[in-house]
Amino acid sequence: MRKKNVLLMILCVFVVAVFLSGCAGMQAKPTAKNFKTPVVTLDSMEVAHAFGYWYFSNKVKPTKGKPDNVGAPLDLAFTFNVENPNTFPVLMENLKFAVAFEEFDLNMVSTNAAQWIPAGKTNQVNVHAHFDVRQSLLSLLVTGGFKLKAEGTNAWAALEKWWTGIPNYEIPVSVKEGAAVFNAGDMVKVATFKATFP
Amino acid sequence: MFNRSIWSKFLTFMFAVILIMGFSSMAGAADIRVGSLNDMTGATSDVGKDYALGIAEAIHYINDTGGINGKKIKLYQFDYGYRIPEALTKYNLFKRLKCVAILGWGTGDTEALAPTVARDKIPYVSASYSGHLCKPEKTPYNLFFATDYSTQSRGLITAWYRKKWPTKPDYNKRKPRIAMCYMFASPFSSASIKAAKDQAKMLGFEIGPDQDVSLFAIDVKSQILTLKEFKPDVLLHTNTVMSVAATLRDSYALELGADNLIKCWGFDENLPKLAGKAAEGAIGCAPWAFFGLDVPLMDKVVEYAKKYNPGIPLEKRTVHTVQGWASALGLAEALKRADKVGDLSGPSILKNGFETMKGYEIGLGIAPATFTATDHRSQSEAKIYEYKSGKFTLIDEVDLKKEWPDKWANEWLGW
Repeated sequence: MRKKNVLLMILCVFVVAVFLSGCAGMQAKPTAKNFKTPVVTLDSMEVAHAFGYWYFSNKVKPTKGKPDNVGAPLDLAFTFNVENPNTFPVLMENLKFAVAFEEFDLNMVSTNAAQWIPAGKTNQVNVHAHFDVRQSLLSLLVTGGFKLKAEGTNAWAALEKWWTGIPNYEIPVSVKEGAAVFNAGDMVKVATFKATFP
Repeated sequence: MFNRSIWSKFLTFMFAVILIMGFSSMAGAADIRVGSLNDMTGATSDVGKDYALGIAEAIHYINDTGGINGKKIKLYQFDYGYRIPEALTKYNLFKRLKCVAILGWGTGDTEALAPTVARDKIPYVSASYSGHLCKPEKTPYNLFFATDYSTQSRGLITAWYRKKWPTKPDYNKRKPRIAMCYMFASPFSSASIKAAKDQAKMLGFEIGPDQDVSLFAIDVKSQILTLKEFKPDVLLHTNTVMSVAATLRDSYALELGADNLIKCWGFDENLPKLAGKAAEGAIGCAPWAFFGLDVPLMDKVVEYAKKYNPGIPLEKRTVHTVQGWASALGLAEALKRADKVGDLSGPSILKNGFETMKGYEIGLGIAPATFTATDHRSQSEAKIYEYKSGKFTLIDEVDLKKEWPDKWANEWLGW
């Protein structure tokens, strides 16, 4: 009986030790007072894939497949630094931003791939933004038509300039209206960011 | 014996604690998955971006206020750039992700997906308010929280006929004249034209030649010059805001002299910014209150806009944010009702959720919503606003069901 009690005592000590060892690594508890908003900055923008400038209307017969209104794709990859200034880890729930070529908003990009950022560390997030001439044409026409007209240009001229200039990093590409949502405990902070590259 | 009992209780307690701690990380597994298909970059991005922001902010609000009976919504929100093939691809992804319902977008993709949605039995709450989606025997899983386009058009024409026509010099001397400006090839723009003409005919209008105005138009002079021959008293516009602004500008510049009636997607806070003086006196249908107006829940809409998108100035936010909220809150209510009976399958969300709503009040200035098994027109009321002196003012509320109960019940459903 006594031997059994000793065994049980050892088992309990082991369980408590395991429990406490978990607590040993615990960091400061997030509170409304000590939860600082993480900082998001644009590290770089890479022209991940460029295919030149071209556009085919659906009146043109393709070599294979069905005709459609299609234009050259352009794939831009944005790398952000996400710095956690807190003494506890934070969860980045999502990150979104608008992309503008010169002063024309053309895309809204987001990622919902959540990630933990350790206390005091900086993670990097890479987000691809896909553009194509057709989609950007339509977006530009409904959001920037009057502005282009006022500037004495038109959508086609602007698209050609961007599709040929951006692969050479000659046209400024802006990240605007950026917002990243962070959680710590049951609290939420939203970091805002904007930048232009190059 | 006593010691043994204490020890066994202690051990049981410790193992229970360990089990609870170990499984606490799985709490998220109970999330309810919802897909959201939005246009933030394509042909309707002038209105679609703000709607998409509203959806995401509303889901945050729903989760912060108890979720779906304690379960959180996990939102999968994708941009499809208003490309129908991509909408189909995203829809298939939502199915793979086991989304219980979808918050959809435009008329083109919503109508294209309707048969698939019906086959898959997935509730699809769209931002297309096409009257074609309201007949459950054809499109049982399509729903929305708004006055449908046909009811909007009928309401606009009726309100103008009552409020404005009697003030015109030719009142009682001849028939009022109306013409319609829209993109012929767009299912969205042309969705309510048949109903609009039916209403105009019923009220005794003379109907002029339709004008094909592209959604991307910035120059509408030739159409306005054609209309000058007809001399309309009023124009009905069913495009989105930029092309409506272009039409108003050219109509003003060429002194057409007609009043303007505008369906919901062409009548927002950006219209006066784009059309300037030409927007003065424009009349539009808005089933929801404009952003920031003093109506129930608007404080939350503004609070969440500030909280989750602080980089976007509030003056850039529009009524489309409120629309996004209406869709998300309406769906959440249906999910709560279905969840209460323990069944979140598509048929249950439809029958135990949406179709149990009888005069359900969302807030946000929206008329109460009712769905039945035979009629998915959630509202029969068209709220008519006038833009004057920098303000949107409610000038009329036309309840089509009350005014024409027989036609509402027997003739107008589904178109």
